[in-house]
This record gives sequence, C-alpha cells and structure tokens, in this order.
Amino acid sequence: MSQAEFQRNYFELFDLPVGFEVDQQQLGTRYRQAQGELHPDRYAGASAHEQRLAVQYSALVNQAYATLRTPLSRAIYLLELRGISQQELTSQPVDGGFLIMQMELREKLETSADLVDPEPVLEHLIAEISQDIAAEQARFGSSWVAEELTRASSACIKMQYLDKLLREAEQTEANLLER
Amino acid sequence: MALLQIAEPGQSPMPHQVKRAIGIDLGTTNSLVATLRGGRPVALPDEAGSVMLPSVVNYSSGAARVGETAVALAAQYPADTLMSIKRFMGRGREDAASDAARSHYQLAAGSEGLVRFSTSAGDLSPIEVSADILRELHERAVSTVGGEIDGAVITVPAYFDEPQRQATKDAATLAGLKVLRLLNEPTAAAVAYGLDSAEEGVIAIYDLGGGTFDISILRLYEGVFEVLATGGDTALGGDDLDAVIAEWVVQQSGDPELAGGQFRQLLAASRRAKEQLSDADSVALDLTGVLPAGGSITVSRETLETLIHPMIKRTLRACRQCLRDADIEGGVDNVVMVGGSTRVPLVREVVGDFFKRAPLTDIDPDQVVAMGAAIQADILVGNRPEGDLLLLDVIPLSLGLETMGSMVEKIVPRNTTIPASRAQEFTTYKDGQTALALHIVQGEREMVSDCRSLAHFELRGIPPMVAGAARIRVTFQVDADGLLNVEAREEVTGAQASITVKPSFGLSDDQITEMLQASFTFADEDMQSRQLAEQRLSAWQLLEGLKSALEVDGDALLSPAERDELSDQMTRLQALIESDDADAIRQKTDALGRRSEAFATRRMDRSIREALAGVSLDALDEEAKQ
Repeated sequence: MSQAEFQRNYFELFDLPVGFEVDQQQLGTRYRQAQGELHPDRYAGASAHEQRLAVQYSALVNQAYATLRTPLSRAIYLLELRGISQQELTSQPVDGGFLIMQMELREKLETSADLVDPEPVLEHLIAEISQDIAAEQARFGSSWVAEELTRASSACIKMQYLDKLLREAEQTEANLLER
Repeated sequence: MALLQIAEPGQSPMPHQVKRAIGIDLGTTNSLVATLRGGRPVALPDEAGSVMLPSVVNYSSGAARVGETAVALAAQYPADTLMSIKRFMGRGREDAASDAARSHYQLAAGSEGLVRFSTSAGDLSPIEVSADILRELHERAVSTVGGEIDGAVITVPAYFDEPQRQATKDAATLAGLKVLRLLNEPTAAAVAYGLDSAEEGVIAIYDLGGGTFDISILRLYEGVFEVLATGGDTALGGDDLDAVIAEWVVQQSGDPELAGGQFRQLLAASRRAKEQLSDADSVALDLTGVLPAGGSITVSRETLETLIHPMIKRTLRACRQCLRDADIEGGVDNVVMVGGSTRVPLVREVVGDFFKRAPLTDIDPDQVVAMGAAIQADILVGNRPEGDLLLLDVIPLSLGLETMGSMVEKIVPRNTTIPASRAQEFTTYKDGQTALALHIVQGEREMVSDCRSLAHFELRGIPPMVAGAARIRVTFQVDADGLLNVEAREEVTGAQASITVKPSFGLSDDQITEMLQASFTFADEDMQSRQLAEQRLSAWQLLEGLKSALEVDGDALLSPAERDELSDQMTRLQALIESDDADAIRQKTDALGRRSEAFATRRMDRSIREALAGVSLDALDEEAKQ
C-alpha cells in the first residue's frame, strides 16, 4: 500500500479546497471518476495483489466521499484535521441553555406518541430541529472561515445532538405511518 | 488465480479471445442462466426449449435429479424432493426448523448448528442442494455456448445477510463455477434496464421473488449505477402468496388434515390459480389428489386480491423505509418490476400508486435478473472496453461488534457503499486483561440477541495494563461481494488477529475442498494434466499482463535496475512454461508475482492520481523523472 495516498486528506483526494462549503456536484463527479478507475470490478482479471489494492483504494474513496457528502461528518472531519479528535469533542462542556432546550425537544418527541393526532406535532418538531441544525451549520461555517476553532467545536457538538434527535423524530414518524 | 481458462496441455490459450461469461439467477422457485449474444443478453434454454429451471431437486434414486423431473416426483417423494431450498441457505438449524416442518422435510439429527436434510442420497446441506441446481445450469451453459465457462456472476437477494451470501458462493464453487461476483438481484435487474435505455435518473426496483422481497433505489448518472438504498424482507415472497391461497382453500374445505404430498399438490394448484387470475376473473382450482373427494373450488380475482393485499402492503413498508434511506429529492423516475409475482395486476396497481409511476415491465420479470447478471459477467470477464457501466452497491444490513452489556456497536452502517473499510478503537474492561473476545454481528437492533451472530474470534497477547489503557483498533473490510473480513490490532504491542467471516452454519474451506475433490471424476493423471494446464495459464497471464504494463509504464515507473531484474525473472518463467513441471512453474509464477508487486502498486498509485486529482499525465511524468 502506498502510504502517500493515505496521508492525503479527503479534500485533496478529490481535488477540492479544504473547507466546510463543498461543491456537491463536483464532489459527485470526481467520486464517480475515481471509482471508474479504481473499483475492483475494473481489476477482475488482474493479479491477486492488484485486486487487493483495488479493494483498499476503492474503500478509501468510498469513505472519503461519505465523509465529505454530509455536513455533520464533514465538520467532524475538518476538526479532526486540526487535531481535535471525536473524543476531545465529546468531552467538551456544552452550554446549559442548549441542553435544557434539547431535553424539552426530547420530551415533546416522547410524549407525541400518546397524542390523538401526533402527526402535525411531529412534523412541527422535525421542522424545528431542522431549523436549529441549519443555524448551527451556518455557525460552524462562519467560525471555520474565521478560524475560531472553539466556536466551531461547540457548533459541531450541537450539530451532533440535533442530528441524533432528528433521526429519532424521523423514526418515530416512520413508526407512526406503519401503525 | 486459477480456473480462468482451461487449455489442453501444449495448447496455449489465445490472447484477446472473447471469454465465455454467464449470469445465473439462483431463484427460490426457478433458476436461469443467461449469456451475451451479439451484445444482447439471452436466457439459455434446455433441450426442451425451456429457459426456467424449477429450483427443485429430487434424491429418491440416490442421485440428484433437477428441475421438471424433480417436480414430477414431488408428490410421490415429498421428503426426497427439496424445493424452495434458497430459504434455508446460510441459516441455523433452530432457525430453520419451523420452515422445514412446513415444507415436510426431515432435518438430520445430531449436526449442531448446521441445517441438513435427510434424503435417500444421505444428509445434505442447503449448499449442496443448491450446488446441484447450479451444476445443472453450468452444464446447460457449457453445452449451449460450446466450451468451458470462464466466469460467472451469481445473483443473491439484496437483503441476504453475510452467511447467506457466503453459502451461495460456496454452492457455486462446489458446482465448479468460477465466481466473478455475487450481484444483488435488484441491481442486476437495473443493469438490464440500464443497458436498454441508458437513461439517467432514479430507478426503484421492486423485486417480489419466490421467497424473498427486495426493494432497491438506484441512480444512474455519469455512467455509474449507484445503489442509494436497499431493503426488503427475506421471509416474504411469491411462495407466501401461494400459501395464503392454499390455506384459504383448506379453510373453505372444512380444515382436512393434508399429507405432505397432498399439500404440495395444493400449493402447485394455488400457484397456477394465482397465475391464471392475472388474466382471468375467476378460475376453478382443481382439488384432485388434494382432497379424497377431489372436485374443484372457484377462486375469483377479488378473493385473491383480498387474500394477498395484506402481504403487498407489507412490501410497501419496506419501500417507504428504503425511500427514506435513499434520501432523494423528488420521487423516482422509473419503477422496474422483477419476479413472476409482479405479474399479478394488484401488485402492479399498488406499487404504481405508491411510487406514482406506471411500473416498467418491458423485460420479462422472470428473466431480467439473469440477463443483468450476464451483462455484468461480460464486463467483469473483460469482454468490454474499459469505461463501461460501473456498479456501486451497498451492504443491506449493519455490521457491528458486541460490547459490554451485550450491546451492539455498529461499525459499518447499512447502505454503506462497498467496498468499505471502517476502523474503530476499543479498550479493555478489566485491569490486566490480556485477551479480547470479539463477537461480530449483523443487524439493526441494539441488543446482540436481536442480531445475527456472524463470528467469534480472539485477540491475545495484549500486555497487562490498567483497564481502559490498551488501544485495540478493529478494522472491518467489506469487499465488492459484500463479504466481510475483520482485523484487530493492539496499537502498543502490535498484537494482531484477523478473521474472514465464515458462517457458523456454513462449510469450512476444508469441507469445500474435500467435496470438490470428491466431485471430480477425473483420474489422477487427468488431474495432473489439468493442474499443469492451469499453472501454464496463470504463468502466461502474468507474463502477458506484465509485458504490456512494462511497455506502457516500465520507463516511467521503474529504475533501469528494477526493470532489468523484472525482465530477467520474466525470461526465466518464459523458459519454464513449456516444461511439464507444474510445481516449478507455480513457484516461479508466485516469485514473479511477488517481485512485480511494487510495480503494480506504483501503477495503481498513478491511476489514482490521474483519476482523483485530475493531474495531467505530463505533470506526472515530470514528477516520476525527478
């Protein structure tokens, strides 16, 4: 395995500028080009060694694409590039006001199942969480550009909390539809 | 690499010859084999002109009889006639017991974990039974295309888990096939349609097979087929539609006790009724041989629809989840129907309403999967120019590890594009802990007991440290077939352990080798000349590959000394290739293979640079010269 390849960061891998804003169209095109060259299907007749390499490279490209595609994983990755690991991130204090708001949102979610008509409540809740996520993303973006890593980290943690909540809310809504 | 082409001793294989590639749809109810003719996929017929081979094997004579012959014997020998065997692939004995009872099979006693059926040909695993079906199709292909097959793509339901996939691959190996790839059935169908229309957009594949239901959402864009999400239900299929009709008939007839053979006949009659009701408003279901009184019962289309509606609704639940997972803006552009049961008008209507698109049925829903597999096989075997359609598939179920408290930590989430590699760090729980037991599971639930257990392995030799100090990095690697390899490594000492996940209920590599050897009817001498021919072929392939690689990249990527050394090794192998010493050829081939690894790595690096960074070729040449 060539070490050099794996030391390049995911942005360089796709020839994109390092940053929170990513041109999704360009990312997708580069990703498909890369897989077109590296996917193990292109090496089905090659030697065992080349096939193994193809699996590793192709897996790396898949992971790089998955990381850059969504804002949350992109934010976590950017912080990681600056030496802030996931563990450090989770061990940082989160402001109390935000946590109380989270608990309130969560309570709304948990009690929604008992309502006679939970759907509009859930929809409203999902819209609210999505709005909060967008706000934190914007905060992360501007902090990143301003090189304010502490502020960026705090936005990233909140994005994580909100993302988890959004998933749960969507799952609750999905379960509701199946009833 | 073995078994790519098998040439007679002394006769060198022709370079650039079109290779024989086949696609096989190993179905619950029917299986098919297809190949490309004049660039178009065609399903291959048997001598009687039928392309569908019923996936039924009869063992009453002690030997395997496959297809219609076996179907004809089903009523007479219910325990010796195995059908819908795909439902048992890669499943544990306890897990499969109720299904076996329903099908009136005898499970062999004693064998822990492993499902085996007692038949007149001895105790057989689902893998061996499937291998008999595959062998029949393999023979059909060899006799129709006129020569040994160079490679095959075998389809599996997208929702098949790891053990089910491994079992399928093992069955194909047992049947003497060189498996190029396991391909998900809906993806195969999409390939068949994609080749047809080459239309960009989002496609939903609704695949109601005999025993399983799959839903996949794909996007065809810039020459790449990307599976966005997949889902389904491995325990719901066309067979269940037949069963629900059969149960209704039993109920209507005053709940008589039916023997195995009678129930089989009723199921067959129910299937025919279901098929006829796609065109007719009502049919008479013949009860001769089913009930002592015989006679018939009328089934209207309305009755059929009432009976099957709950099951079709169940499929929509998976469709909804899949759409959510795919996370697409706007709806799907096309809906493709796969599987015989999608001929039922109600299925088309309900699915069409759900996706707000009239379903596509241009390609025979029974043949479309095999056709897509044939196209993919043709690409993989190297018959098409590079740059042709590329498939990016996903894993259907999350892969994870058991952690403290019997909880599951997901390492590779479902719908992750494969090949995939994910690593995560874990630590010890107790002071002085020197070993770590790793339990690999598959599934979406939080608790280990609710997931499928895939494998256990241990990492030993961790130096005694306080709890939480050791750093153990566990890497999951999933290849393009969706098969998993797990590696664990203690970062401080470098202690290492790895496992290729083999289902606990499957066959070991040794067992497979043994069975393969037993199935070869060759005499020793034949075996030897076959081995020699194979060794010559792989030597020849390596030499040819290296020659062309050297011509293109030898100057740019190798120093003169490296180049000379490689050429020297090549000359030596070339000199040996016409000798009769298979062992010597193998050793020299292996040595040259190892010697050329660095060159291969550099070539790969070069491709990645060109592809990824958009760096021009000139710039790279400059770089290499510096």
